[in-house]
Amino acid sequence: MSKLDNALYELHHMDALASRDQWMNRIHPLVKLVLTAAYIAVTVSFHKYNFTGLLRMGLYPVALFILGEVSFRDALKRLRIVLPLVCFVGLFNPFFDRQPAMQIGNLVITAGMISMVTLMLKGVYSVLAAYLLIASTSIEKICHALRLLHVPAILVTQILLTYRYISVLLEEAGRIIQAYSLRAPKQKGVHFKVWGSLAGQLLLRSMDRAGQVYESMLLRGYTGEFYYGEKTPIRTGDILYLTVWAGVFIILKLL
Amino acid sequence: MHMADALISPAIAGTMYACSTAAATYSIKKVRLETDPKKIPVMGVMGAFVFATQMINFTIPGTGSSGHLCGGMLLTALLGPYASFLTMIGVLLIQCLLFADGGLLALGGNIWNMAFYGCFLGYFLIWRPIMKKGAGKGKIIAASILGSMVTLQMGAFSVTLETFFSGITELPFSVFVGTMQPIHLAIGFVEGLITAAVLVFVYESRPELLMDVNAKQSDGRFSFKHTVAILCVLALLIGGGFSLFASSHPDGLEWSIERITGSAEIESAGTGPYEAAEQVQESTSLLPDYAFKNSDSLLGTSFSGIAGSLIVLAVCAGGCYLFKFFRKPKTKDAR
Amino acid sequence: MSHIYIDLEHVNYSYDTSHPVLKDITFTAREHDSIGLIGANGVGKSTLLKLLVGLNLNYEGIIRVKDIPVEKNTLPEIRKNIGYVFQDSDSQLFMSTVKEDVAFAPRNYGFSEEEIGHRVDTALKSIHIEHLKDRQIYKLSGGEKKMVSIATILSMTPDIILMDEPSIALDPKNRRQLIHILNDFDHLKIIASHDLDMILDTCSRVILMADGRIVKDGDALEILTDRKLLEAHGLELPLCMQGLSK
Repeated sequence: MSKLDNALYELHHMDALASRDQWMNRIHPLVKLVLTAAYIAVTVSFHKYNFTGLLRMGLYPVALFILGEVSFRDALKRLRIVLPLVCFVGLFNPFFDRQPAMQIGNLVITAGMISMVTLMLKGVYSVLAAYLLIASTSIEKICHALRLLHVPAILVTQILLTYRYISVLLEEAGRIIQAYSLRAPKQKGVHFKVWGSLAGQLLLRSMDRAGQVYESMLLRGYTGEFYYGEKTPIRTGDILYLTVWAGVFIILKLL
Repeated sequence: MHMADALISPAIAGTMYACSTAAATYSIKKVRLETDPKKIPVMGVMGAFVFATQMINFTIPGTGSSGHLCGGMLLTALLGPYASFLTMIGVLLIQCLLFADGGLLALGGNIWNMAFYGCFLGYFLIWRPIMKKGAGKGKIIAASILGSMVTLQMGAFSVTLETFFSGITELPFSVFVGTMQPIHLAIGFVEGLITAAVLVFVYESRPELLMDVNAKQSDGRFSFKHTVAILCVLALLIGGGFSLFASSHPDGLEWSIERITGSAEIESAGTGPYEAAEQVQESTSLLPDYAFKNSDSLLGTSFSGIAGSLIVLAVCAGGCYLFKFFRKPKTKDAR
Repeated sequence: MSHIYIDLEHVNYSYDTSHPVLKDITFTAREHDSIGLIGANGVGKSTLLKLLVGLNLNYEGIIRVKDIPVEKNTLPEIRKNIGYVFQDSDSQLFMSTVKEDVAFAPRNYGFSEEEIGHRVDTALKSIHIEHLKDRQIYKLSGGEKKMVSIATILSMTPDIILMDEPSIALDPKNRRQLIHILNDFDHLKIIASHDLDMILDTCSRVILMADGRIVKDGDALEILTDRKLLEAHGLELPLCMQGLSK
């Protein structure tokens, strides 16, 4: 049941990180979003046997973790979701790809082993890069960047509203679960007899809440369009940051 | 079922982004045409609802493990395919950013695998046809379970395809499919049951919230017994289909077992889709790099390469630390 | 004589035909009135407030706000003048930051960015919560959320404020602050609440409702000290009066 609390904690924690007054947080969100996507794309595009090249790609996360003063340990915790799947897929490579690649003493390292390790490295890097983005950029700012990329307003509004009500509903769900588990001790989850009514109640309440949100919007002049004021200009520093890293990525890829 | 960035090549990721964008563009157009301004807040709050309920563990009787809700199927029954698709995009984006569930690059694929099938197939192929001649408790249960199972099967199959065409795994396609599909058949069944429980509750208390369900309609003639019977037949069909599929590829499982034990040659069975995929992968990967494999000077260069890379990394890390150290006193007036 | 701002004549309303919620409601409210709307749970207080801003239409009788009848096509005009504070702040505040939420209404009415910024600052300043401007809504406390809810309607400089249970979930200090804010607002305000002490502190007139009807409409002090009347309709004397009457 602590999953709900965990999610809430994570939500608040990420938000606290993103609202720090740090140089990385002040870089324009669009620049960071584009760089993160570019980094992940470049990383993933490395050939499965190119272990050395991939190792060098570690430069970006390493530099940002140190300079941005982001806790590496928190980031590692986030690997727990992605890594199992990556491992499951990668774990078989050593069995199927037994071509010897190199030898250390008597130990023969096969191509499959290398491709397994590179796959895991790719998984770790991409999670770290995404973490660096979200640890320095709030969801609102990312949404702002999405608007600049011409993602339709209706979708961005959607994301913001969902984000806004996640914490409200997590708390509400948490209260329901708490009330449930107080009266149903020694149960790990929700008994199937109350599956429907427990989640269903929450659903109906959420629907009612949506109705109230709609009324609140109506009373304040809402006509079906959403407007956002947040506009941060892209400064020379941002462009410089973008160019430098883009250059680094290209060099690392070609090296 | 969330795809990770590492499991997808940029070309495949781009393709999936293109597919999902097309579906999203169409959905936005459709939602705008509906001109129901109330949909916007409902979508937002329901997105948050799906997010929150997916954190609740529903105990599966007799197993001790727990399952979750099928978000796409639930939303499509409440909001219709277009609005629910957009809602799911929001949920998936936030999951990927805030909780590292999925990845930025794989998001396009994840939207397709989870939102597209759940919302569009779930609605047009399952929910609407079943509700057409009047809704009922049995029909809702059938639609939920069937919907969750089918959409999850499609999703799992897509994950397999995407990973395979990305050339990530050495795992033979048939083995990969053979593991993914049955697992997700079970997951889909459980998710379907939970989703059914919630939708039935909604049906009994506020039927007007459900798509294509007329509150005044008499309870459909679809009894519970019918439902169970139909489900059994379906399970048999799907199960049968799978065993047929598995047995028609004798090279699949046996061959892979042979290889796991390390006896067979590599090229012997690599004729079918595997080679094709390899070719696709080779031609699509950005700046393919073959230097490592088949290179004569493999041993000599790679050791120095690894060592060199490590040194570069260490130097950079050291440089960053130094930079930070000297920068500290001035951080306040920086930028 | 000040202007009549709200005028209801023989208003009946029901959600479905079998259960009338409001029966024959008639009253007028003037420019500087401060009205407490009291009554037990489920007597139709919230429904009445919602009728005034057109969230519930299809009523019988006449409702006029500043001489404009409340109808579907007059709603934008009417809502521009009325600020409505919901009971649940989380439903009222749907944007992510305080600033964005307070700016929502002015932005919808098409003011310039400069004017919007000015309105946001003025609204926040008038209730002394400038420091919350850049905060995330979900991180606010219950009291702060209520204050921000009030700021979101003040940014439209309304002539009329309607409030549904504003003092619920407020700690004593925030409640005191709310009372100050309400007393500072010089225009018409109608407050539906069970917090009779707050009503006594902020309202000069009280409308007592029971079973969808107005039972009594008169001076606040007179009604709120009438123990028999209050108890007959599921209420009690304000706490500050209970000691006195013993």
